[in-house]
Formats: sequence, structure tokens, C-alpha cells
Amino acid sequence: MTKQVSTREILLNPVFNNNPIALQILGICSALAVTSNLNTALVMAIALTSVTAFSNLFIAMIRNQIPSSIRMIVQMVIIASLVIVVDQILRAYAFTLAKQLSVFVGLIITNCIVMGRAEAFAMQNPPWASFVDGIGNGLGYSLMLIALGVVRELFGAGKLFGYEILPLVKDGGWYAPNGLLLLPPSAFFLIGLFIWALRMWKKSQQEPAPFTLAPQVKEECAE
Amino acid sequence: MSGNKESIARTLIVALVVSLVASVFVAGSAVYLKPVQEENRQLDRQRSILAVAGVGGPELSSGEVQKLFEERIEAQVIDLSTGEVSKDYDPLKFDPLKAARDPASSEVLSGKEDIAGIKRREQYSTVYRLVKADGSGELEALILPVRGYGLWSTLYGFLAIKPDLNTVVGLGFYQHGETPGLGGEVDNPKWKGLWPGKTLFGADGKPNIEIVKGGVQPDSAGAAHQVDALAGATLTSKGVDHLLAFWLGEQGFGPYLSRLRQEGV
Amino acid sequence: MGLRQLLDWLEPHFSKGGRLEKLYALYEATDTFLYRPASVTRATAHVRDAMDLKRIMIVVWLATFPAMFAGMWNAGFQANSAYAAHPELLAAAQGTWEGWRLFLISFVAGFNPGSLWDNLIHGAAYFLPIYFVTFAVGGLWEVLFAVVRGHEVNEGFFVTSVLFALILPPSIPLWQVALGISFGVVIAKEVFGGTGKNFLNPALAGRAFLFFAYPAQISGDAVWTAVDGVTGATPLAQAAEGGIDAVVTGGVSWMQAFIGILPGSIGETCTAAILLGGALLLFAGIASWRIVLGVLLGMVGMSLVFNGIGSATNPMFALPWHWHLVLGGFAFGMMFMATDPVSAAMTDTGKWIFGALIGVMVVLIRVVNPAFPEGMMLAILFANLCAPLIDHFVVAANIKRREARHVRQ
Repeated sequence: MTKQVSTREILLNPVFNNNPIALQILGICSALAVTSNLNTALVMAIALTSVTAFSNLFIAMIRNQIPSSIRMIVQMVIIASLVIVVDQILRAYAFTLAKQLSVFVGLIITNCIVMGRAEAFAMQNPPWASFVDGIGNGLGYSLMLIALGVVRELFGAGKLFGYEILPLVKDGGWYAPNGLLLLPPSAFFLIGLFIWALRMWKKSQQEPAPFTLAPQVKEECAE
Repeated sequence: MSGNKESIARTLIVALVVSLVASVFVAGSAVYLKPVQEENRQLDRQRSILAVAGVGGPELSSGEVQKLFEERIEAQVIDLSTGEVSKDYDPLKFDPLKAARDPASSEVLSGKEDIAGIKRREQYSTVYRLVKADGSGELEALILPVRGYGLWSTLYGFLAIKPDLNTVVGLGFYQHGETPGLGGEVDNPKWKGLWPGKTLFGADGKPNIEIVKGGVQPDSAGAAHQVDALAGATLTSKGVDHLLAFWLGEQGFGPYLSRLRQEGV
Repeated sequence: MGLRQLLDWLEPHFSKGGRLEKLYALYEATDTFLYRPASVTRATAHVRDAMDLKRIMIVVWLATFPAMFAGMWNAGFQANSAYAAHPELLAAAQGTWEGWRLFLISFVAGFNPGSLWDNLIHGAAYFLPIYFVTFAVGGLWEVLFAVVRGHEVNEGFFVTSVLFALILPPSIPLWQVALGISFGVVIAKEVFGGTGKNFLNPALAGRAFLFFAYPAQISGDAVWTAVDGVTGATPLAQAAEGGIDAVVTGGVSWMQAFIGILPGSIGETCTAAILLGGALLLFAGIASWRIVLGVLLGMVGMSLVFNGIGSATNPMFALPWHWHLVLGGFAFGMMFMATDPVSAAMTDTGKWIFGALIGVMVVLIRVVNPAFPEGMMLAILFANLCAPLIDHFVVAANIKRREARHVRQ
């Protein structure tokens, strides 16, 4: 990515064209863990977006001062501090959600998206562009998380944001909830299906086949 | 400036400055937010205590919860082995779960005693007394903290009983990690609705509450002592069964309850 | 006009350039189902055998028949017995929308648990709709993928569909059947490139999906008799509670379990019929005897180990191997699921290891895991995942051994 890229592109590119989850396959762990309902998915999305944006901003601001021998550690310190602050804020102002998210907010530290953007983008670009890049990647992650959260909560529990949408059989309604969707592995299947759909839509994201089977003999030799 | 960017002195200075700024930032936010967090933790606990006693649901605002809790709930720290109220601890500050982890304030349970699968039991625990709203100070419900192992996790909750020390007002768990849809149904209001009115002790004064598979026969003699098991969650149901037996028994709140029975509530 | 002529006459319409080119897959499927395909392998390695892929699939399909009919009879017997014990349930169910099967049954049969015919028809009224839904929905996906990808419909689906229908409990709602087979076909098979490229058994993957998605209906805790309002745990769940005594006092003797008079999934109840069908597969050389024997030995070995260890609190430890054989899906899984040539290990030594792994895992899950009384499905899926690894090590060991024989000077 070079300077010619417009801010708009920096912002929107990671949403569909270079989605951190769907194309780069990063940040899967938290996407499995927090998307069983929309509330936690949304809070996690916001938390990650703000951490990515601000860590990119701060790292870009001091990028020319950071000695390369300790650059990873400096990035880590900045990211970790931001994550702790976000965790503290959540515990103070969204206690029940923080309880549900438990360790996963803390684990944003290890989320490859944050580190990846810091190393790949913020170290080479000015603060504003880096900030926008952080927001953009955060949005890409958020989009995926929210899509997962909607599917999992709606079909797994018949609710959205905790409000009943599909009345459940056990409460006298008609919808039998799909318990698998409340378990983490279901997010794997869903992410897989999303990637499938996305690559059907944007053919450029399809990877070339790693190999093709060679014909065993030439056509004319057979029989 | 790029020339000496990689020098050792420069590296040390950058590391130092970054660490310093970051630590000030983190420490500052932690100190600044601590009171709010503490209040939240308290509120969450108070809310589940009120909910299990049936006097407040999730719809209450935090102010209402606090007001209700202050007016109607009296907390007491009691010595579990004697059943006496202890004045050594401040009931609002004392944390029984923390005490259970500290070898100085808890004891290891032997395999036979430990039917609830909690491994250590604290010496002191906090009970909550819900008093009547009319200001007479009479007891409306007694709320006991309970916990025990289900299928995958320890269930933490509260049991509220009437002043006759026998009839259930409510049972609720505020924290557990059971399978959603199966064991996780301990949170289902329908299942929780089966509890109020059940009686916990038999005629001989021993704990007698049972979770039965295949449905309670409403007209059978033991129906008041039985609750339907959760469908498809045998072990979570058993866990709830065991944890009640434990906390109502001699190792749990048994001595406290028998003291109350003799001396009056 | 003979059938062959009709097909030949239709052919140009479906081949390249024809009006119905897109539907070639359907034509091809019909044609080659009836006649041996004219095309032959265009490669050097080449075996001519009457037993082509289609005939293999048809033999497997036929081999399931004993288990299928025994299972239908048993499902009907269980339901009719329940109705005989509670006649009020029969009266209540008749005339409602949910009782449509009973309405159909009443035209051709009664509800007498003593009558072979009544039981068979009652069972068929549950099994056939399940099979039909499986076939229609799964077949739709097969054809859809075949048309989009431009290849032929693979008859492996014949087998997948019948196996999937047989491992479901009779009481399962039909929409769950549709969902389960969709998952099995799409996620477990087509996503990886279709028949031959799937590393999981599609029928089992579909059932696993239902098992985790709707555990209350399918985990075997309180269902599996095709009568509304009658619940009872499956014998395995009873055994997990109170050991084998609980099963016997529950009214199921070993002989009954062996000939399949107990509640359970349709096709997996009658061990005798399953072994009969399995014998046909072994005789025809379709199922690998190494796998079957491996599963059996693994199971016997592991249950003897548990019998030896013993446990005061867990009655499953004492369950002897001949009970493991007749309860739950063990026999069916051993004969029809573990031997699926695509998802099993390929090497001969690998097949022994693969089979033994299943046998050990199934006992392990049944005995030790508190949440799952049945373990066959999970054991086979687990071994499916391990199969490529097993083969890899077997091949590597073979190369090493042969290298060692030719020590270079």
C-alpha cells in the first residue's frame, strides 16, 4: 500500500476486498468465542476496532523513533496498555457484558489483526492514514462478527440482542432452536460458508488450486 | 536522526519512555475506574440476591436495586460449623468465595463429605435476610449462597427460603458454564418456576429435596420434595441435587438453620 | 421402444449443445443406474471387473435390507406396544394433524403388537417418510452440485441416504431429517469436492450435526419410541445410570437386544440382521474384514480393561463386551459406517489400526464421558479424522523398513 491510495480506500478496502477474517483468516479464535450472541459480538467488535485504530495511531506517531530491534516489544506494550484500558472501561460501564466476554477482551492483545496492522501498516504510514486503516480493519472484523452473531443468536436462541424474535417451542412457540449454533465450532462452519459466498461474489479472492492432477497418460495412448 | 536510531542508548531511552507512558496510562485508568467497577460488582450480586428472593428482576435500575437492597436486606456473616453470627467480619466486605480459596479461612473436604464437588469449604459465609416491606423488621425470606459442580463447571447461585426455614422461595444461579440448551437450562425461568413452594426438609429434619427424571407425579406423596430434572442434562440435574443436599446438610448451613429453628428467626 | 432405445433417443438432447445440456447429470444418472456405462478408464492402471462403483453401491444398499426391515418391524412393535399399554394415546393421536401416519396405517393394518404385518406397516410409516425426505433433499443437493460443476451425479448418495435414514430415531421430526442430510451432503462432502474426496462419513456427519444441534431430541435420554407422550431412556442411557441390571429389569434381555426388540434408531437395533447384511458385504469384498475385526477386537479389549479396573460409582465400567456389541449403534457402525472405503484408512495395516481405534474410542466414550451415553458415531468420526495420519505413518514405516533392507555400503 502506498501513499497514492485514498483515505476512502484505506477505510473500505478491508471490509470486503481484504477482510481480515474472510481473506487473511486472522482473529478466528475470538470470532468463535464471542459470537454466540449479538451483544457480546458487538461489544467485542467495538473494543477491537478501537484498539486497532488507536494502537495504529500511536505507533504511527512514534514510528520514526522506534528502534527496529525492539519494535515488536514497543508495539506490544502499546497494544497491551490499550487493551487493559478497554477492559477496565468495559468492567466499569458494561459489567454484565464484560463478565460474559471474560478473558476474550484481554486476549485482544494476542489478536493477529492488531499486531498485523501495526507491523504492516502503521510502521510505514503517517498517523491519520494508520488510524483510518485501523478503523477499516476493525470494521472488516466487526462486519464478520456481527454477521456471525446475528445468525448464531437468531437461529441458536431465537433472539436478537436478547429480544425474542422466533418464539421457542419450549415457551409455547414454534421454533426449535439449533443448539449447535450456540457452541463455538458452529462459527467455523459459518465462517467457512461466508468465505465461500464472498469468493463467489469476488472471484479475485479465489486462491489458485495448489496443484492439479496430471493425466496419467496422454489421450492418444489410451486404448 | 536515523543514524543513531539503532544505538543502544537510544533503544533504552525509547523503551523506558514507552513503558513509563504506558504504565502511567494503565495505572491511571485502573485507579480512576476502580470505584465504579467495585460498585458494579456489588450491584450484580445484589441484583441476583433480590431476584432469587422474588423482589426484583433485571428491569430494576441500579438506583432501585441499591435502594431496595439497603432497605430490605440485612447481611450477616455466620460461622458455618457453629451456626453463630460472627461479628468479626464486615458482612458487606467479606467475600466467602475468596475465603474458600485461602487455606487459613477454609478447610479441605474429604471425598465423602464433598458431595457438591467444591473441594474446599470456607469457615464463614454470608447469609442475607430479606425483611418485610412494612418496616416491622420481620423476616420475609432467608437467602443462602450455594455452589456445586454440575457437568462441566461449578454452578454459583442463591437459594431463598421462607421464615419457616423449609419452603423454597426461589433458586437461581448467577454463574455457570453448562451446555447451552441442556444443562444451561438451569437459567430457564420455566424450570426456576418449579422451585417456589417446594419443601426442603423431611419430617425427620433431614434435607429431603430430590430432582427426579421423567417428571414429578403431582399427586404423589413426595411431590413437595421433588422437582423435574432438566431434559437431557442428567449430570447438571444431579449436580443441583447434590449441591442442595450439601449446603442444607451438616457441612453447609445445617447448624445455622437448626439454631434458627430453636431460637426463632 | 425398449428402454435402451428410449435412453439413446434422449441422449442428444442432454449432451453438449443439446437443449437440456444443463441437466446432463440427471440423464447420466438414470442411464448408468440402469446400464453399465460405456465409457472406460482412460489410463494405464486398469482393472476390468463386473463389480464397478455402481454395482458396489447397489450391493451395499441391498445389504442394509435385513437391518432395515428388522428395524421397521421393531419400530412398529415398540409403538404398537406403547399404544396397547396406553390405548388413550392412540385415540388422542388419531384425527389430529400429527396423527397423519396413524390415519394412513389404519387403511392397511391394525395396531396389534402381536401381528407381524401391523408392526411392519407401522414401522414403515415412520421409516419411509424419513427415507423419502433424506433422498429428496440430499438428492437435490447432489444434482445441484453436479449441474453447477458439470460432472455426473455420484451414486454414492444411494448409500449415504439409506445409511443416514437408518441411523435416525423413528420419532425424529422430518424437517430435522432434511437439515441433517443437507449438512452431511454439503458440508461433509461437496465442500471438499464430492464423493471420494470427503474425509468424513457424510451420513454420520449429518447425524452428528443433529446430535449437537437438537440434543434434547436425539441424545437418547428420553425418546425414541414413535408415540407421542411415551418417553423412556434408551438401554444405553439406562446402563449409564444403573448398569446392566437396570437394562434387564427395564425389560430387555441380551437375546432381545441381539435380535433387536428394544427402542433405538431404526436400523441399528437388530444386531442379528446387521451381522447378516455385514456378512454379505464381507463376502462380496466390499467391507474390509480388517476394519471390522479391528473394531471388534478394540471394543472387546477395551471393555475387558474397564471390567478389570472396575468402579464403585460408574456402573458402565462393568458392562461386558457382549452387551457393548448389541446396544446402541455399535454393530451398525462397525459393519456399515467404519467400512466406508472413502473415509477409512487405505493401507492394510492402517485398517487394523483404524478399526481398533474406533473400538477403543467407542467404549471409552460410552464408559467414561458423562455427557454421551452413545459413542459409536463420535468414535467413527474421530477415526475418520485420523485415517490419513494413520496411512501416512504406515507408508512412512514401510518405506523405512524397505530402506533398511537395502543398506548402502
